[in-house]
Amino acid sequence: MMMLLQVIAAFFATVSFAVLFHIPKKEYMFAGITGACGWLVYLAFLNLYPSVTVASFIAAISLTFLSRIFAVYRKTPITIFLICGIFPLVPGAGIYYTAYHFIMGENALATAKGIETAKVAVAIAVGIAFVFSIPYNFFRRFFNNREKR
Amino acid sequence: MDRNQQILELTIIAGELLLKNGAEIFRVEDTMEKIAAAYGAEDYTVYVISNGIFATVKNKDSSYKTQIQNAPLSPVHLGRVAAVNELSRQIVNGELSLEEATEKMRDVWNIPFTSPKLQILASGLGSACFCYIFGGSVIDSLIAFVSGILLWIFMLKASKVKLSKMITHIIGSAFVTICGLLAFNLGIGEHLDKIIIGSIIPLVPGVPLTTAVREFFNGDHLSGTIHLIDALLIAGCIAIGVGSLLKIAAMLEGVAVI
Repeated sequence: MMMLLQVIAAFFATVSFAVLFHIPKKEYMFAGITGACGWLVYLAFLNLYPSVTVASFIAAISLTFLSRIFAVYRKTPITIFLICGIFPLVPGAGIYYTAYHFIMGENALATAKGIETAKVAVAIAVGIAFVFSIPYNFFRRFFNNREKR
Repeated sequence: MDRNQQILELTIIAGELLLKNGAEIFRVEDTMEKIAAAYGAEDYTVYVISNGIFATVKNKDSSYKTQIQNAPLSPVHLGRVAAVNELSRQIVNGELSLEEATEKMRDVWNIPFTSPKLQILASGLGSACFCYIFGGSVIDSLIAFVSGILLWIFMLKASKVKLSKMITHIIGSAFVTICGLLAFNLGIGEHLDKIIIGSIIPLVPGVPLTTAVREFFNGDHLSGTIHLIDALLIAGCIAIGVGSLLKIAAMLEGVAVI
């Protein structure tokens, strides 16, 4: 139940960013689904294995995969779904805690949080790159008669 | 004006649109080359970095036409990227004459930004939802909603007076920290950290980070570095804004910061 509410919140959070980046109105819903899916996978993996980095990596993979499918299906640049959908994973909390501990003079904690934040950023990056290396034709197979983009 | 000149101009308009509104280098170059090829320009070369475009086309008499376009980093408008994409598809399919295409491409610049009211609302809603998914309570989310709204009103005002990006991000994040501290110390709200994390989210550099990753992946290391530094600078500014306010609050007596 808790998880369902969280995923719904992630959906609306992603749609909010879709509005802030001025994406076409008819794509709002698809961007929202991308973000919600990423967050669902993140939460599910965090339950299985308590590592933020691993969960972010798997979530980045799944939401980039979904973005590519939507990009082919909606014939729109993938940027539209990816940029909005990735937002729940971007380590905003990491930036906050790093700054907090740093300013409070707790250097060891600040370093630990800073390194964790960097790890999450790298995990997201590798996750995105991983899915981008799948050949385009793999995605086109889902929608045979649709053309590129 | 001869045909090669027209083709060059059309591709430069398309390229500038894509680059300024948040497309990655690979897409800009690819689209420009495809448009040029669709109108039969032979020997068309384009080089794009994250803030400039260089394109050259060879004429029949072996002379060259070259155009350079400066494109400073600017606000993202993904709707325009989608529109150029749609237009280039039509061009490649041969549905538009060169004149029609140029006119339609210029029109893309007129696609408006989302109305300020809707942007402000979206900023509030986004902050509230993020506060909730990071573990804030409903009341925390409501506070994040209010400070998200106030934050975006400030950001819109700041973009009108053309304040530098670093200063806006420092002031913006300091401002939401004040909102959070005020509410928390008045006894509304349960987790100060969740409130602030939620409200700084509209400032967090998700776009430059994602773009940087994709540039690196496509082998555009120079542009990737520019976006990565952009992301790091913004993250640093947010940290400075939030951190300095928390420090001031911690130094004052009788103000709770956790």
